[in-house]
Amino acid sequence: MDPQVQEKVQKIFRGELKYTSTNLAFNMLITKSRKKVMADPGSMDTCLKELEEFLAKYPIVAKVDLANIAML
Amino acid sequence: MLIELKEAVRLINEGRTLHIAADDSLLKQLPKGKWIGGTTPYFIGEEGGIFTRDLLYVNEIDYAEEINVRVYGKYNIFQLVEECYDNGLAILIMPYGSEVAAKYAKEAPDVEELLMHPTLGWISGFDLETAGEARVYDGTTGTSYTDRAVVMYLKLPEGRTAMINMINIFEDDKTDPVIHFRENDLSVENCTVNGQEVNFAEYIRKKGIDTRMPLVADYNGSYFNISVKSIENGRVSFYAPVFKNVDYRFAVRVDDYAAEFMRRIGEAGARNPVISCNCILNYQYGELDGKRIPPYTGPVTFGEVAYQLLNQTLVYCEIVG
Repeated sequence: MDPQVQEKVQKIFRGELKYTSTNLAFNMLITKSRKKVMADPGSMDTCLKELEEFLAKYPIVAKVDLANIAML
Repeated sequence: MLIELKEAVRLINEGRTLHIAADDSLLKQLPKGKWIGGTTPYFIGEEGGIFTRDLLYVNEIDYAEEINVRVYGKYNIFQLVEECYDNGLAILIMPYGSEVAAKYAKEAPDVEELLMHPTLGWISGFDLETAGEARVYDGTTGTSYTDRAVVMYLKLPEGRTAMINMINIFEDDKTDPVIHFRENDLSVENCTVNGQEVNFAEYIRKKGIDTRMPLVADYNGSYFNISVKSIENGRVSFYAPVFKNVDYRFAVRVDDYAAEFMRRIGEAGARNPVISCNCILNYQYGELDGKRIPPYTGPVTFGEVAYQLLNQTLVYCEIVG
């Protein structure tokens, strides 16, 4: 993942940026990751890895959402 | 599509792969074959919402490379994430009131990797006027169950992806009080409202809350509903569990349920859903009997699954790519 996009994703997980996808599973994953990171900031890397796995599996989602996140 | 029994039998005998919803009196007459099914006499057909014991709702699954059918109980339901195809779709049907449905409802949100595997499903039911027994069918063995979940795994061709989505008419008002629950549970006595401990039933009574409006939780802009089933002896029961550490609010009141539902259907813009299911409460409160909501047709259900159990929602899947 592009470092700038990754930084924005980290902000989304910390609740500092708001991003809503049109993809239901991606929104559920963001919610789950945000909850984990808020409870334990040390879980950030695990959550990022999970997100990367999700996006690698669903390139259709990755293409649209990563581009949108980059523009936040 | 809604079809007669003899047509469903013909499709099964031709070796077609089918997802079927119908009254139990019809499902039990079907021959063995590549199908799974669940009971309900309520449907959204091409001609609109309909209650019938004489027709079966059938989705033909002609977009899968392979299929596999499995039956699970409450102790192994989450083998689902291990046994699904890497690129696929899992269609899950569970009987209303069963332990396996309760287990899935409570634990699915915490299951690792579930979001990696598109899972759509529904809770089978019965005629609300006469009650009855909700069942699911594994058509490959011709066996029906009241206490098991049946799953059909579909393997999709490379480059094709199952995208699950939902239509929900409800939203919250962020200025309303936040409700928290202590445990993941289908029935509660107490909760906190803006941090203050209260009896939930008493809170609903005092505030005059219309419980046709569900509790909603904001999952990053996707709203998940929890519908109130009953309030008895100081306890509030739900059709899907509430979860601890989730912010809930009662949904903003929708005065014209049917009109709002139609508006959201129009906005959703799905082109070719391959499967969909719609909540019995939408059918009732949205007065969908006789109303068409193209392109969404399918069973009317006692709970919907889009990865996790939802209420008062229309869930659908499109195959894209």
